Amino acid sequence: MSVKIEVIAGGVPHDKIMIAGLVSTLVCIYLTYLNAFTNTQMFSFFGGLAVVAALIWGSHTIKVLCSYGIGTGVPSAGMIAFGSGTIAMLLATKYGMLAPIVALVLAAVIGLILGYVSNNILNMKIPAMIQALTEMAVVGALTVMGFAAMITGGFTFTGLTTSTATFLGFPITSYANSFLGGGLIAVAFLLGAIAIQHPFNACLGPGWKQDRMLMLTAECGFLSMIVAAVMSFAFISAGAALISLIVAIIGWLYTYGQFFAMSKRDAAAWLDSKPIPDTEGH
Amino acid sequence: MSAVAAKPQAGGAMNPTAMAVGVVLLIIILGACYYVSPNLGLTALIGVIVGGVLIGFGTHFVPVGGAPAAMGQAPGIATGVAMLAAGAGLAGLFGGAWAAPLGTTVATITGGIGGGLMMAITCMMVNFVYVYGMGIPAASGKVLHDPITGDSQAEFKSQGTEGHGLPFVSFVGGVIGGILAGAGGTLIYLALLDLYKATFPTLMSATHAQVLPVAVSVAGMFAVAMFLVNAVLTAYNITGTIEGPHDPKFKRWPRAIVASAVASALCGFVAILIVAI
Amino acid sequence: MENIVFGIGITALTGALATVAGSAEDTESNIGSQGDPNSQVQLAPQMGFLHRIFNKAVAGEPPAYGLWCALGAGLAWAFMAMQVNAILAIVLGCILAVFVQGVYATTAYLGRTASLAKFGQPVYVDIIKSMTTVTMAHAFIAIFCTVALCQLINGALGHPFPLPLLALIWGIALGAAGSATGNPYYGKERQYQNQKFGAGVPISASGNIVRYAEAGERNSIDNGFFTHKIGGSASGICFGLIVFLEIWRTILFERIYAGWGAIAVGVLMILVFTVIDRYIEVWARKNYGPYTAAKEADA
Repeated sequence: MSVKIEVIAGGVPHDKIMIAGLVSTLVCIYLTYLNAFTNTQMFSFFGGLAVVAALIWGSHTIKVLCSYGIGTGVPSAGMIAFGSGTIAMLLATKYGMLAPIVALVLAAVIGLILGYVSNNILNMKIPAMIQALTEMAVVGALTVMGFAAMITGGFTFTGLTTSTATFLGFPITSYANSFLGGGLIAVAFLLGAIAIQHPFNACLGPGWKQDRMLMLTAECGFLSMIVAAVMSFAFISAGAALISLIVAIIGWLYTYGQFFAMSKRDAAAWLDSKPIPDTEGH
Repeated sequence: MSAVAAKPQAGGAMNPTAMAVGVVLLIIILGACYYVSPNLGLTALIGVIVGGVLIGFGTHFVPVGGAPAAMGQAPGIATGVAMLAAGAGLAGLFGGAWAAPLGTTVATITGGIGGGLMMAITCMMVNFVYVYGMGIPAASGKVLHDPITGDSQAEFKSQGTEGHGLPFVSFVGGVIGGILAGAGGTLIYLALLDLYKATFPTLMSATHAQVLPVAVSVAGMFAVAMFLVNAVLTAYNITGTIEGPHDPKFKRWPRAIVASAVASALCGFVAILIVAI
Repeated sequence: MENIVFGIGITALTGALATVAGSAEDTESNIGSQGDPNSQVQLAPQMGFLHRIFNKAVAGEPPAYGLWCALGAGLAWAFMAMQVNAILAIVLGCILAVFVQGVYATTAYLGRTASLAKFGQPVYVDIIKSMTTVTMAHAFIAIFCTVALCQLINGALGHPFPLPLLALIWGIALGAAGSATGNPYYGKERQYQNQKFGAGVPISASGNIVRYAEAGERNSIDNGFFTHKIGGSASGICFGLIVFLEIWRTILFERIYAGWGAIAVGVLMILVFTVIDRYIEVWARKNYGPYTAAKEADA
């Protein structure tokens, strides 16, 4: 899947997207702490919104990186981002209130070293490589954290490794039925890894437009949020999961419609059941 | 997106300074690991590093042709390097994880054989489709004679292509790559599993049997994650396509060894810190 | 003994499911032009060959199927945790996963085609409507079979990995096997039917894909129909063999010499496949003959 990609300038500068993405992701992740303060699970959907914000930032980073032609497919960038991010995120979950910040710093360090490794040891010599891998590791860590918050209502290490079920009226603690023990982290991993690379992979070409790609990222984020909300029914109260589901469906419908409109705007023609247009010489 | 655009551009040269920095980083991480967890942690970290290096080295053997291979324009398997290696290595991890109670040696070899078997079947079917489905014999574009069988290659190359199919040396390379990748993935899993099985009960104040699913799941997830990191780094090293062990790009493997060692040491160290502090 | 018989039965069932999954996966990706042949569908308009082929580049097949299968399994796992019956849970999970796959397919087609506006490639709404549903149907078969076989491995054979992680592993392996085996048949044999048979596509012909059918213009369902006959079946056999042999050697031979039996059988099978491969290669060299005289090529 190696594609010749032209560097396209224009649109909102990358630094702006990065700062906006970072701040809104962190704010949304911290808003899930309202769960702990109010002792409900109603605010879990903020985790999903954090995922959307982080993905928008990450997909633009992928665009910056892959504009240089890294010699292998766009999807691999998403894989390395989440591979390194997931590990950092799990260590960070042990730090309570500081978890999102620890995840950010730790992922940045891992990404920085991985960037150095690929740029210098593997001799790729791509100017944006180090910064891009750093950003993507952070995005990977925060996205998985957002999914964890959304599905289980929080992201403490204990919360992710245990779940409480009521059996014949007695509450029992189960380890196998938890976010980590049940392997749901694998789903969060791939949901993010595909959603982060898909927008650029799908929109690349000479007619690439920033707003269309970012709208598609938001759409992918909300789509992932829908299925994450369905999974969250197994962990959090039905009301809280329903709120997540409704927020996700509304967001998805809006962004999907917008993406269709933008594609219609950018397409050469919008035809239904028409033959191939006649072109000169063919 | 033509075959021409897929050709590699990045240099094959080594960067001695960066390699030295890499080795120093590796030693620092090992030292830090010895500091926080001298026995269990260090053993696990060494297992992870060896596993990561096996994955990085093994991925070089896997013959991958990318998009041109799908048109019979270049030899190799028509898919991406990182993902084919992941397919084989994870199939190996599946077998290795199953055999985990039989001990590290048996489980690692089982994982390696699982990966090799996956690649043997896949490579055989690729040649099957080329020969009986499309009527195209195998031919290498990089060498005149197959280094193993000595078959001449150039006259079987059809006009205007760089070769097609999997010559015998590529088949063997694929199997070796699958074996190394499968064994590497399994080794990472076993190293982390042993560590987590020993430390999770105190960390979570629960019994061995209770934490086992969590330990298995976390170790498995980390093995997959580190596998992907190493495979993608190697894919960056060979920039797209490689025919197998006879390809000139194969000589770049020392870079990938250092890179994989540093990357796995780093990821492994973080994974160990979860239980060490 | 009963254990072994039970295990062999389950093994046979997983092998059968895997064969169906591999075949459906390859047909799905060929209808959607996913994977490496996608490069030509993408290139054609740039060379002036506008077409009516479905162009859904969600991701390479292995990561895409990794997600669909892991997602189906994760949802199934969640439904089972909510005390839903296992079969119903798997079906529901796969339906939701297919919904995600369908949405990704439409956005991939729209995004790629809209970015090709410069070359005059129009967006065909009827392609989205008719092809997406067909790929979704095939994807459902592939995902359902993979998740079901993972559930069998986890529940009946006792593999330690949780269901979503198993589905991730076998999903990536499914995509890798399907794309490796199926891609050349679609990429060379179908897209370039106008080129010489029994030879690779010359690099100079890149982008000149066949766009017209026996009657009218070629659409992607025709491609699925054509490639299923060899590419799809071969992918199915490939993935079926991988799953079946891997589990079979473990179930039957693992208890011999504490695991070394399974290893020995594995080595033996690798050798068998090596011999078959060498036979195929030599057979082709003998029967298809060289394209150019040996001396000329050496020079």
